[in-house]
Amino acid sequence: MRETLSLAWRVTMRHWDVYRQNFVANISPTLSDPLFIILALGIGLGAYITDIDGRTYLVFLAPGLAISTALWSAFFETSYGFFIRHTYEHVYQAMMTTPIGPREIILGEYLWVGLKGAGMSLGVTIVLLVFRLGDPLFAWTIPLIGFLVALACGAIGLIASSFVRNINQFQTVYAILINPLFFFSGIFFPLDQVPRFIQVICFASPLYHGVRLGQAALWNDGFGAALLLHGPFLLLLTALLCPIGWMRIFPKLYR
Amino acid sequence: MKATEMNSLSNDASGSPVVEAKDLRKNFGSVQAVRGASFSIARGECFGLLGPNGAGKSTAIRILYGATSRSGGSLTVFGLDPAREAREIKKRLGVVTQENALDEDMGVRANMMMYARCVGLPRADRGKRVDELLGAMSLDHRSNARIRDLSGGMQRRLVFVRALLRQPGLLVLDEPTTGLDPAVRLHMWERVRELKDTGTTILLTTHYMDEAERLCDRLVIMNEGEIKAEGAPREMIERYCPGTVAVFPKEAGLRERLVTAAAENPDFSWFEDRAGINVRGPGLAAVESFLGHHGMIPRILRPSTLEDVFLEITGRELGGDA
Repeated sequence: MRETLSLAWRVTMRHWDVYRQNFVANISPTLSDPLFIILALGIGLGAYITDIDGRTYLVFLAPGLAISTALWSAFFETSYGFFIRHTYEHVYQAMMTTPIGPREIILGEYLWVGLKGAGMSLGVTIVLLVFRLGDPLFAWTIPLIGFLVALACGAIGLIASSFVRNINQFQTVYAILINPLFFFSGIFFPLDQVPRFIQVICFASPLYHGVRLGQAALWNDGFGAALLLHGPFLLLLTALLCPIGWMRIFPKLYR
Repeated sequence: MKATEMNSLSNDASGSPVVEAKDLRKNFGSVQAVRGASFSIARGECFGLLGPNGAGKSTAIRILYGATSRSGGSLTVFGLDPAREAREIKKRLGVVTQENALDEDMGVRANMMMYARCVGLPRADRGKRVDELLGAMSLDHRSNARIRDLSGGMQRRLVFVRALLRQPGLLVLDEPTTGLDPAVRLHMWERVRELKDTGTTILLTTHYMDEAERLCDRLVIMNEGEIKAEGAPREMIERYCPGTVAVFPKEAGLRERLVTAAAENPDFSWFEDRAGINVRGPGLAAVESFLGHHGMIPRILRPSTLEDVFLEITGRELGGDA
């Protein structure tokens, strides 16, 4: 087990090595996207929405977007990223000639997307805190929430990778799954307005639970209650999705 | 792990084979890629696995290093089963993969440093080992180059470096010189011979019969997932198509004369391929006297090669998968 972890860590470190080579290019969209949405919607649209659940729109948007970076970075990493490494670059094929096996590759992917999601959501949160768009008291929980959301969304990406026949098909997954996940996660508006059946569907979204936890943390508003309600759901969804992603992708690496 | 290491060490010492495959099988759905291959590779030997495209060579090799499961039969590498102990096997294995599969996202040295970490070289030794091998493969001056800026030959040499990072007990070469120019191939062959001289066991697949003839102590020819022939290169030439071949241009009148002449003498046979019309006889003197007797001058007169054996066994026609 110790050796498996150590070998998986080498896979994670490979991805980190590649990532940091183009660090500025890689990190800028992940950080700038949420920050510009916060600026554009928060200041622009926020001029019309002065009170949403008792807060300015800017403050309302902030936590959800911090958590959403975990979704984006994880999904892209295990969909397009995985597919390119697997099919075009043969990175895993070469790794498989070393003591690294399929288990370590998948575990290394999960570690990488989890840590990346944690780091990204933390990065955005630090910017938010600098601009006083959140309460620092529970901010330390954001990377943990980001880690779990990224694992779950990374698993969705791996499941997608196991189904697509060519790289263009990820666009369909993006259009019909990831986009609604993002827009109906409670980031942009409270979900109590939407029809009941959509609310029920949203309960199956790891991002929704992550966003609700992030909001409770950064607003410092009912964090304990949110933890009791959304924490178990986020854990459960992550614990369900990760093994499914594992089982789906394993035969692609070893058959 | 200690026990496994000791176990495999004692295996080596007792001279049992490094690789032993018995009735190895692999099915992909309804396709039988390997249909019962049996072979063994002795320690220190250079063993060739030849066959046309789609013969099942690469699949057999991938099973060997645990990148693919087997559907049947038994297989041990260093006395271990790749289905259960691939990790331990791969600690002692170097693989020159058919595709370079170099990490395009990293430079030359960074690539090798990453793989040095993957194969588990201690941190303190990585830099030294990588630089030493880059030097040996004449790549040290391109340490910081990007992969795509290297020539095909350089990329291939870098794959060699990757395979040698851990001083493998068994080096697997999957079509190591395909697409390379003659100078680079010669350079590769020298390196392979050096490795062999230091006691490295080598498993080679190739489409180049001259390569197999030069490097292999023993080889098998696979076709359609089965092993069709086995032996040392010279021995196989003697067994399957000994003698000398005279090659003639493809002309209808000439073909008739040749076929008739060959039919008169049981020591002679003929076949036609892309090179022309070929007449094979038992030796240079016999073929010369045969040709003199019939007043025919060939375009080429050459000894039989492993290529003749290969074509004899696998057929001269292009198969469905070729």
